[in-house]
Amino acid sequence: MSYSEKVIDHYNNPRNVGSLPKGDTAVGTGLVGAPECGDVMKLQVRVNPETGVIDDAKFKTFGCGSAIASSSLATEWLKGKTLEQALEIKNVDIVQELSLPPVKIHCSVLAEDAIKAAIADYKRKQQDGQ
Amino acid sequence: MSSEARTLTLQSCRHCGAGAPAQVHFCPQCDRILTLARHGDYFSFFGLPRKLTIDLADLEQRFRALSRQFHPDYFYNASTPERLASLERSSYLNDAFRVLKQPLDRAEYLLKVEGLPSVGRHQDAKELPAGVLEEVFALNEELDDIRAAREAGATPDQLMARLDAARRPVEERAARQEAQLEALFSRWDRQVDEKSSPDVRRATLESLRDLIQERSYIANLIAAVNRERGES
Repeated sequence: MSYSEKVIDHYNNPRNVGSLPKGDTAVGTGLVGAPECGDVMKLQVRVNPETGVIDDAKFKTFGCGSAIASSSLATEWLKGKTLEQALEIKNVDIVQELSLPPVKIHCSVLAEDAIKAAIADYKRKQQDGQ
Repeated sequence: MSSEARTLTLQSCRHCGAGAPAQVHFCPQCDRILTLARHGDYFSFFGLPRKLTIDLADLEQRFRALSRQFHPDYFYNASTPERLASLERSSYLNDAFRVLKQPLDRAEYLLKVEGLPSVGRHQDAKELPAGVLEEVFALNEELDDIRAAREAGATPDQLMARLDAARRPVEERAARQEAQLEALFSRWDRQVDEKSSPDVRRATLESLRDLIQERSYIANLIAAVNRERGES
């Protein structure tokens, strides 16, 4: 099995690798894992409190090329989206964009889960802050 | 259907038509080897209950005895269905033995035949005990740092000291997981003996599945640390 060009591009030049301050109330952090391969994925979003738009997204993934590419692509897509729009990102969109083979679909599911977990964490922080 | 009921399911001899319990291998009437039926499982094939604690010496004895009985050499002059049955039973026996002799493979197999969703589905952190994913993530980051330090020319002593420090908490967690696994094995076996309700048994299997998943992270991590040690 060979990786698609887009996967290789994201793998060699991952976008938005890094961390945002976890304690910041404007930052939501999602940490998810896939037990079958041991992959772990951390995805963070920073939301502009006035506009409700995601103005920054970072990830760090320990795993295979497809998992890294899926989370890299997810952070690219997240920037500039509202939370509602962000939640519309589905794993099948990632599968299509990266031409992931069936055995790698779980990597895209992991990325979708990471987005949801990060947004849930952000929303929890807003409620706790009130 | 309970496992007790399943072991009573009848198969029939293709040669003489006599009925036989599912877990026997030879026709009680004409002694011919029986065609391998689709029902049944590795445990019943060995004449064992569906329990997780297995005496390995006893398992091996059963394996050797059955291997001899099924051996294709003894069916050289037999009819085609019998030769086929001897091959099928020999091959099934080898698979069954390979799975049952390894405690983890045995446990995963039990989950499968008990109809639990397979081990290895994705999950998020909340389904794992608090802190497991965080620990896995932090150790992966430390391994990245150690690789960077190696590139920057750190001495093997320095790298080893960091790797040992990184390994300690995961090894402690691995030891705790082994103890939990043993406890769950005993709990399941007790519940089989006591014929506990399906709900009670299912809860045990779910805990077992979660623990096996958690364990695979830690096993992968320890393997990664050991790879780094080999390179330092």
